[in-house]
Amino acid sequence: MKDRLAAALKASRADYTEIRVERTWSSAVTFRGRRLETATVSEDEGGFVRALNRGCGWGIASFTSLDALPVMIARADELSRAVRLDRPIRLAETAPHLADATLDLDGDVRGIPLAEKKRLLEAYNGAMLAVSNAVVDTQASYRDEVSEVWYVNSEGTVLSQLRPDVTLSGTAIARRNGTLEKGLESIGLRKGWHSVHGLEDRFRIVAQRAVDLLDAPRVKGAAYPVILDNELAGVFVHEAFGHLSEADFVYENPQAREMMTLGRRFGKPVLNVGDNGAAPGLRGTLPFDDEGTPTQDTPLIRDGILVGRLHSRETAAAMGERPTGNARAISFRHAPIVRMTNTYIAPGPPPGGTFEDLIKDVKLGVYACGAFGGQTMLENFSFTAAWGHMIRDGHVAELVKDVVLAGNLFQTLDRIDHIARDFTWNQMGGGCGKGGQFPLAVTEGAPHVRIEQALVGGDV
Amino acid sequence: MIDELLDAAKCADALWRREERTSVAFEAGRLKTAGVTEEAGVNLRVVAGGRMGVAGTTAATPDLEELVARARASAELGEQLDLGFPPTSPLPHVPTFFDRAANASLDQLIALGRGLVERLARAGCQVNVAIEREVGETAVGNTAGGRGRYRATAVAVTAEVIRIAADDVLMIYDQYLGADLPGDVDLDVLVRSIETRLGPALTVVPPPDGTLPVVFTPAGLAALLLPLEQALSGKTVLQGSSPLAGRIGEQVFDSRLSITDDPLAPGRPSSRPLDDECVASRTTHLVQHGVVHGFIYDLETAARAQARSTGHGRRGIFGKPRVAYTNLIVGEADDGVGAQHAAPLLGGGLLADIKDGLIVDDLIGVGQGNVISGGFSHPVGLAYRVVRGEVTGRVKDAAVAGNAYELLKQIGGFGADGRWLGARWSPSLRLNGVSVARR
Repeated sequence: MKDRLAAALKASRADYTEIRVERTWSSAVTFRGRRLETATVSEDEGGFVRALNRGCGWGIASFTSLDALPVMIARADELSRAVRLDRPIRLAETAPHLADATLDLDGDVRGIPLAEKKRLLEAYNGAMLAVSNAVVDTQASYRDEVSEVWYVNSEGTVLSQLRPDVTLSGTAIARRNGTLEKGLESIGLRKGWHSVHGLEDRFRIVAQRAVDLLDAPRVKGAAYPVILDNELAGVFVHEAFGHLSEADFVYENPQAREMMTLGRRFGKPVLNVGDNGAAPGLRGTLPFDDEGTPTQDTPLIRDGILVGRLHSRETAAAMGERPTGNARAISFRHAPIVRMTNTYIAPGPPPGGTFEDLIKDVKLGVYACGAFGGQTMLENFSFTAAWGHMIRDGHVAELVKDVVLAGNLFQTLDRIDHIARDFTWNQMGGGCGKGGQFPLAVTEGAPHVRIEQALVGGDV
Repeated sequence: MIDELLDAAKCADALWRREERTSVAFEAGRLKTAGVTEEAGVNLRVVAGGRMGVAGTTAATPDLEELVARARASAELGEQLDLGFPPTSPLPHVPTFFDRAANASLDQLIALGRGLVERLARAGCQVNVAIEREVGETAVGNTAGGRGRYRATAVAVTAEVIRIAADDVLMIYDQYLGADLPGDVDLDVLVRSIETRLGPALTVVPPPDGTLPVVFTPAGLAALLLPLEQALSGKTVLQGSSPLAGRIGEQVFDSRLSITDDPLAPGRPSSRPLDDECVASRTTHLVQHGVVHGFIYDLETAARAQARSTGHGRRGIFGKPRVAYTNLIVGEADDGVGAQHAAPLLGGGLLADIKDGLIVDDLIGVGQGNVISGGFSHPVGLAYRVVRGEVTGRVKDAAVAGNAYELLKQIGGFGADGRWLGARWSPSLRLNGVSVARR
């Protein structure tokens, strides 16, 4: 394949050309209630070409028929030439790389019969249904894939990668009279068949929680000290801060650049945030991004001060900064855009604290756990925790539901006053959406985090 | 290819689709990217031993035997299902292909975008415009003799204006979506729709507090319509989680409210002569005069519910068909779909007797939480305060909450600003008794 791509590249008339080809084998099983919805095997294959000429814009072409590659290279060149620019697009320098990254397939999922995958998921789905008669509905899904990706560009970079991915998710719906509650489990790993066994308890726990929430009171809407668990803190930093640190949001907008000036204080000195595409073994990890730039650990907030942002080669050149390896595309159907990889809040400074240290002086507060979802509209956000507990006199108290956190990003980041040392990566399925590209595999990581005051809605 | 595939598969249906998209993108007022996407693939479903299985491929010259074998292997694991494929039937005429859209050159698309960028340019604002034109061809068939084939075009013109002042970020977005290229009037509506919302948003005013009248714009209505869309799907009914299940014939909403799905609406990209399972398209009344009238079904959900497919099967290249709306029309009974309003009207003409209230155009976090119950509670993304019938400015730091089923029992007014927004047509609705909180 590499030779084929290298030969095709030579035929390009454009000043800069890159080609990405992907071949993905995947299988999927889903259950709804006791009923199997689907069990399928799919093969998807296609290519992407991007061309750039001096004084011109980007020309891009994506296609499912690889026989069309030479034609598509010519199309991308033509399209680039049709886009006349007064201010040229420049790409930040990256050295050419030659590399083959073959990840351990950890039990090649392609060799496992679909019937075995069905049995596995049936067991997890059954574990949720068996919790109680109040569990009236479930959704469970298993998906695996093995993908091969080849990348070449006209600067001499030649890369290939072979990687596995497996995701499992379960939703349990509990009902009593008119009340419906849900519990949600999601697991996503850059692993294979060897890593998906023995997870019954995780599915059982979320189903039990859905049942428990039936009797839980709604949290009373008010401003509280709020402790975010690892999962919600991770989702929070990704949604509320991470997207603003993507340079394509700021690089063409002078006011946005001012708002995101490096050196601006974003939080108290305890706050450290970064994005690490090179962290080993995570779903957001890749050796090189989709422009052939090596990934790295990029500090974004250090001791409360904004110190960095995430770049593609284009945004880095436009802002006079260095590329960070964050240009990613969800598939050959799309162009790479600036995306997160594995985004994290670093553990608090040593000796630092435990979860107990964070709550011990909270008289009345909320412990917000898990995430049903979160959305940011630039400086405003809304997050729905999967469940919560009240904190009373320094102790975790009763279960509460409908814990929705809403607020202003700048105010809320500045109100993070304690960060524990119990850091974990949340290895979840699903993914991030941006610019019509969803789902992109990312990971979030955080310890327990305390916000000195945040608005919690249940009833507004 | 469909015929060959069906011969090999005995009891089956299949969809073949080819799409070509051309796109141009202006970033911060500058044309930056032009692109094409070509994609073709086939999706096969077989029924073997009373069980259903599916397989898909995007391979240019697919190995049909392998595809059939893969679908059969999928069926071996499937549930028992009495799935009948519809035989051939006369198809309604609905125009889906527009030469003007299909033949538009790259330069024409670029000129269209450039014109919009110029009209939207404002000091201190970033303007992004994207244009996407799709030309597609779909062929469906089944072993009962059902066949259909049509070409379709779609054009999406998206514009957003972003204004950042200190830490205040304002983003106003709108989209033209049609099967044909937009005409001058359509572009005028798009520009004015953005201007109408941008002007009053430049002033920020404190939010009101309490139980108040709120005008939900066609975009703002998403939070209220999402639970209804879920509840009116045959799949949700079958699953036992629809609050509307078993309530056909019952007056559930305001007697002026009607909801209809119309795959025959002229000029819409979701319109089609038949669905992706060979069922001829027809209009489906879901709510009429506030009374629940029906649900949407595809072949599988219909078979399981002992109902008939309403022609709402949609399938991609991978995975099995699912139930999906085509063009959802929400509005005052018997009013039908008008032309997109020529002069976008913030508040839809519903503000006159509002002493203190809100216009909600966008909410944050719609779709999170317990949607099916109808309950919602969201911070506002874009909202305006209304005092004594006048818009006084944009409101930040406010949240609205209520229950769609409660609020839609009595609608305070239907706006004169009905419009298409994606595949949904609706006017603004004035709803009384929405709880509004300041924070």
